[in-house]
Amino acid sequence: MAELPLIGEGAPRIDGRLKVTGDARYAADFSVPNPAYAQLVTSTIARGRIVSLDASEAGKVPGVLKVYTHENAPKIEGVPFFGKGGQAYQGFRPLQGVEIKHEGQIIALVVAETLEAAREAAFRVKATYEPQTPAATFGDGGTETEVAAEISKQHTDPKTGDADAALKDAAHVVEAEYETATNHHNAMELYSTTAHWTGDHLTIYEPSQWVYGLRAGVAGELGIPQDKVRVLSPFTGGAFGSKGTVTARSALTAAAARALNRPVKLLVTRAQGYTTASYRAETKHRIRLGADGDGTFVGFVHEGFELTSRPDTFLVSGTESTVRMYGFKNVRTKVSAVRADRNTPGFMRSPAEVPYMFALESAVDELAWKIGMDPIELRLKNDTKTDPITGKPFTTRQVRACFERAKELFGWDRRVAKVGAMRADGELVGYGAALACYPTQLAPAAVRLTLEGKGRARVQIAAHDIGTGTYTVLAQAAAGLLGVALDRVEVELGDTNLPAGPISGGSVATASSVSAIMKAAEAIRLRLATAATTSNDGPLAGKDKESVVLKDGRLVAEDGTGEDLTDAFKRLGVGTVEEYAEWLPDGVDEKAMRGLYNGSVKIVGGPMQDRTQFSFGAELVEVRVNPRTLSIRVPRMVGVFASGRIMNRMTAGSQVLGGMVWGVGSALHEQTEIDRRYARYVNDNIAEYLVPVNADIVHQEIEFLEEDDGEVNLAGVKGLGELGNVGTNAAVANAVYHATGFRARKIPIRIEDVLKSHLV
Amino acid sequence: MTNPTPGASRREFLSTAASAPLVAGAAAGVLGGEARAQTTTGAAMAGGQVLVTLKVNGQTHRLSLDPRVTLVDALREHLGLTGTKVGCNHGQCGACTVHKDGVRVLSCLTLAVAAEGSEITTIEGLADGDELHPMQAAFVQHDAYQCGYCTPGQILSAVACVKEGHAGSDAEIREYMSGNLCRCGAYVNIVAAINDAKTKMGA
Repeated sequence: MAELPLIGEGAPRIDGRLKVTGDARYAADFSVPNPAYAQLVTSTIARGRIVSLDASEAGKVPGVLKVYTHENAPKIEGVPFFGKGGQAYQGFRPLQGVEIKHEGQIIALVVAETLEAAREAAFRVKATYEPQTPAATFGDGGTETEVAAEISKQHTDPKTGDADAALKDAAHVVEAEYETATNHHNAMELYSTTAHWTGDHLTIYEPSQWVYGLRAGVAGELGIPQDKVRVLSPFTGGAFGSKGTVTARSALTAAAARALNRPVKLLVTRAQGYTTASYRAETKHRIRLGADGDGTFVGFVHEGFELTSRPDTFLVSGTESTVRMYGFKNVRTKVSAVRADRNTPGFMRSPAEVPYMFALESAVDELAWKIGMDPIELRLKNDTKTDPITGKPFTTRQVRACFERAKELFGWDRRVAKVGAMRADGELVGYGAALACYPTQLAPAAVRLTLEGKGRARVQIAAHDIGTGTYTVLAQAAAGLLGVALDRVEVELGDTNLPAGPISGGSVATASSVSAIMKAAEAIRLRLATAATTSNDGPLAGKDKESVVLKDGRLVAEDGTGEDLTDAFKRLGVGTVEEYAEWLPDGVDEKAMRGLYNGSVKIVGGPMQDRTQFSFGAELVEVRVNPRTLSIRVPRMVGVFASGRIMNRMTAGSQVLGGMVWGVGSALHEQTEIDRRYARYVNDNIAEYLVPVNADIVHQEIEFLEEDDGEVNLAGVKGLGELGNVGTNAAVANAVYHATGFRARKIPIRIEDVLKSHLV
Repeated sequence: MTNPTPGASRREFLSTAASAPLVAGAAAGVLGGEARAQTTTGAAMAGGQVLVTLKVNGQTHRLSLDPRVTLVDALREHLGLTGTKVGCNHGQCGACTVHKDGVRVLSCLTLAVAAEGSEITTIEGLADGDELHPMQAAFVQHDAYQCGYCTPGQILSAVACVKEGHAGSDAEIREYMSGNLCRCGAYVNIVAAINDAKTKMGA
């Protein structure tokens, strides 16, 4: 088979033209005949009961068709919570009773002739509650703390040796608590659902990173067969984990459309998105990290506390990653769930690694200062080729090479190893470093690949392009493997009429989809090569069929002899060859493919039976702290990553550039503020929930190292969606320490925190 | 000009419809805000329609609209021009940016009736036939996007940024493009695309 390059050409996106002309159709852009418009009404209390819901005023608004409340809402058969093997974002179903489990819970759905009437009527729904005092977050009365290993059979806390004993004898120990804030995804595209019935067949247009899951979830909740539902999401306007699970609105909208006998388009406001879908929960960490006199790590204890809702246990358990970062000899970990009266949290870009690696990478920096070592040197001293927990080798692990290249690009040798010692333009300057990582994960994938004799190819897979470049990289894979030009490849995604693709989560999409394409492409090659080599005539007659590849629109043998694709197809007697292929990751049994079609997710990776697979990176940042305003700026960032085969250097670059921007957000901007009296999000909009803007990001430099990893999967691809925003928050916090002497153990870092520094 | 239909008094129209988006912009949450029970506002609206003539991308459209319809909703829900995106409905994100008489405006904070008599340009009207506007081409070339949802607004803002003379330096571009959020974080590529396009735009 033709080889794909280790670092693929930076071809512009094949869907670029659609995106810059407004022709890319996102879920809410699809037109349906004569739609009715729906709006949600959400609760203003976090815990209690609805005493009465008065929809009479709302019903009088001209154009209102229906107001659904718990008294008349369609009955929804809840499908299981994602964490329990289902598709649902949370186990609890709103609008099925009077109980209020969190602030901003859906309590009514208004459907009207126009968007304006629906909005007005939504304001006119009046609720009376019997409220109870809610617990909002850590430390509030009424929260319940449970040890994950005690409440979940699937949860195990990674452990090796005797960390507590080792730490007693360690020459240097850092013992600290770290905290990360509540974050919301805030994809630019708002949540929406458009439901259109034609007879007993339902079409759903909804922004999704898992169309098969959405299909299964909606069908399950409506009690109809899955094949009666089609989900379309060819373009998703950002997802970051928020559009992977099935929220309550989808089935409600579909049920309303069925009852009203017309298409219904529900547009969710940004504020409502904060409470009717998921988010990254706040976390706390207790870290103990010890080293002997020369900086060799001897023990590591990582205890994590994660906020979750009352009904659901959602945990990210990032200790699974932190324990594998260095050659820890002794490790003890524990994860606990803290329940409060909140909506259920969920996956948000690098769900486990963003909070947990912040804690580890901050602690490593603290230890370096304590020992008096360069923080990068300390990391490299403790690099490991084997997984400290399982003892198995890492497939590839270029931590050292990443840091060395990053140091060079950054000019790390200019660093003065003293707090507050560097200044420029009257500002304090700090350098910070951190390790980035992400487990290489895979999921089953099916694809249909078509090659025409005229040299056109088509890839059909219900994968998703959530900004990740999926259209382009899958086209590049097909073009490279089938030997046709990139502009001759068409890609169809985001539609349950296509073969089932992987969920776009856990950075599995490219690796899994390209592996499936490789399987299909090999079948196509073999058909053509067999016909050509077993033929009585033609230039390839009698050649070894294994040596024949598809290249530049030709079928060619190793010695260069070959024939044009058109001739090869003539021999086959067909104009088109189509192959459907199913690909399963190592150790996944065949039932997983049926599961994929039925909306069940099987993701494997990280620590495997015989190996451990991760991608790695080194991130170095400079911060400048203004001594008068105390504002913290990040004038430059350098990231060097090793993540297996890179399909497209440009789209891959964009992924990690964007990830690092997220890291700046995590460190300096993003926090969903909670009014603890009411367990209510206060800044539930995109002006007061701060995200980095253009002016916050000045200079970014990134590079990918070549990495040939034949073990991770067929494609040798490791995935990139999440790697870039791991560790960045710690790198920024570490740089702030270098500049000011203020150790930020809690992010985001605020100006008032920096006031605690003696240098400003 | 607008013609409120009989029954909807001019005074009522001005005091409710026209003020609502301003309130929404300042206090985040009246017309475009989330509906929360118990927080019923007094923004009672007459049900009457108004005739609005909109000139979009050189085409004239006559629409009968609820006077509360915003420009973005008129474009998307009434004219099928879905290239303009809604990211917040509060004027916070810039995704709905269009040109009104060549000036960048937030179409979620502009009532459709207030756009009457103006030349509106949306992303669909920027290219010259099959030939992309230099800014569109530069966005493709520099991968100045990822998910693409903020892109129409970014591009219209970028074109205006150049025409305003606010693309003199990287720092100036960053500042004058900061009203357009890109959650994917494509900022450095957006700046590169604008630098590239500005020369081709003759700026």
